[in-house]
Amino acid sequence: MSLYMRQVWAVVWKDALLELRTRERLVAMGAFAVLAAVLFNYSIDTAVVRPQDVAAGLVWMTIVFGGLLGIGRTFHLEAQDDALQGVLTSPAPKDAVFLGKAFANFVLLYLVSLLVLGVFTLFFGLDLGSNLGGLTLSLGLGALGFVSLGTLFSAVTAGTRMGETLLPILVFPLLVPVVIYGVGATSRLLASRPLSEVAGSLRMLAAFAVASLAVGAVLFRFVVED
Amino acid sequence: MDRPNGSPAPVLEASGLVREYGPVVAVAGIDVSLVPGEFLTIFGPNGAGKSSLLGMLAGALRPTAGTVRIRGDAIDAGGTEWRRHVGVLSHRGFLYHQLTVHENLRFYGMLFGVPDLDHRIDARLRQVGLDRRAAVRVQALSHGMRQRLSLARALLHDPALVLLDEPYTGLDPSAAALLRDVLMELRDGHRTVVMVTHNLREGLELATRVAIQVGGRFAWEGSVEGLIRSDFERFYHEVVEERS
Repeated sequence: MSLYMRQVWAVVWKDALLELRTRERLVAMGAFAVLAAVLFNYSIDTAVVRPQDVAAGLVWMTIVFGGLLGIGRTFHLEAQDDALQGVLTSPAPKDAVFLGKAFANFVLLYLVSLLVLGVFTLFFGLDLGSNLGGLTLSLGLGALGFVSLGTLFSAVTAGTRMGETLLPILVFPLLVPVVIYGVGATSRLLASRPLSEVAGSLRMLAAFAVASLAVGAVLFRFVVED
Repeated sequence: MDRPNGSPAPVLEASGLVREYGPVVAVAGIDVSLVPGEFLTIFGPNGAGKSSLLGMLAGALRPTAGTVRIRGDAIDAGGTEWRRHVGVLSHRGFLYHQLTVHENLRFYGMLFGVPDLDHRIDARLRQVGLDRRAAVRVQALSHGMRQRLSLARALLHDPALVLLDEPYTGLDPSAAALLRDVLMELRDGHRTVVMVTHNLREGLELATRVAIQVGGRFAWEGSVEGLIRSDFERFYHEVVEERS
């Protein structure tokens, strides 16, 4: 493994370990996901609307709102003893630090996304059928695009007084492509349409994820340098 | 590496360093050049710009003007290789309180690409007297022990240049004695050290050179040879009063 990859891995390892110790973000995001699914379940008049028809949009809304609860606190533990400064004065390139933090966030958000899908399947009686692979792929690609932007803007707002209010205002407009293509792919897959029918949406999600990751890696140094 | 005339090449060269925060000038033009084995202590009152100077030498703060070279590499040239030669001990520990002592060092060791990491971690923990607390989480350590761990972190990659910002703050006498021993080892091992402190006794004892920083400038700089502590203390107060 190259030094660069070891530095990326060091950040992933450290963030994963901190999350396992504190469970601060996972519990908040998981609890939000379950509660949101319960509330959505009671908010739909099943005599008028079939839950399966609106499930995809609700799944993605729950992921976006719940995800931001956790992603917004990406730099919370770094601030405790000015630890981010310690990381930034190391030889690890800033983009390696960004990629490490984004990947750690991805693992977290992907787990929560799978939990959301599971909970909605339970409450809304969804039939995942033969499209489970496609569904998990669409969630994964969407989560990657989300965390790339979320991690970058979490760094932007970390040092600001109104950070937690500012973050959704900055991030939500940029997440529109993720929601459009994510909902598009998920709703068709939940309706048991073939994977080939959502290939375009999946490609768009992948392109958005790669572009967001690249932009985040390039811009991160300008955000954290004093 | 020595220069053609036989004198050792500087580990740290800073020239014309200026740092402004809006209308406030924290550092107003400072030049520093240090060769291996030199230990520069910078004294100065609060607000003299000492931490800003150290931040620029560490590459944590971007200078408004001026350049810093570490072993000949300009630190604003875009590379990060020079950071491998610098260890920073701030009054903030840069530690993760939910990780153990060993895990903190492992993380920083991975970032610095330290070879034979486990062996190096064990050696540093023995050096700072924390070898029996390797599995303890940082949140359970006292302030003095955290400071020792921060010292181990700053020295883990065996840097040629060590930058220390008020390292004696909050240390009990035994922890201060341990820190003094480690710093002496560094100086005698031809490491280059820059220390910012209010502690005149500790600062003078270790230094080979001393500077008094007031109003963002070195108001006085010189060798410690022939300096008598009581005379220096009087001189320091005179300089600070005159320039403040």
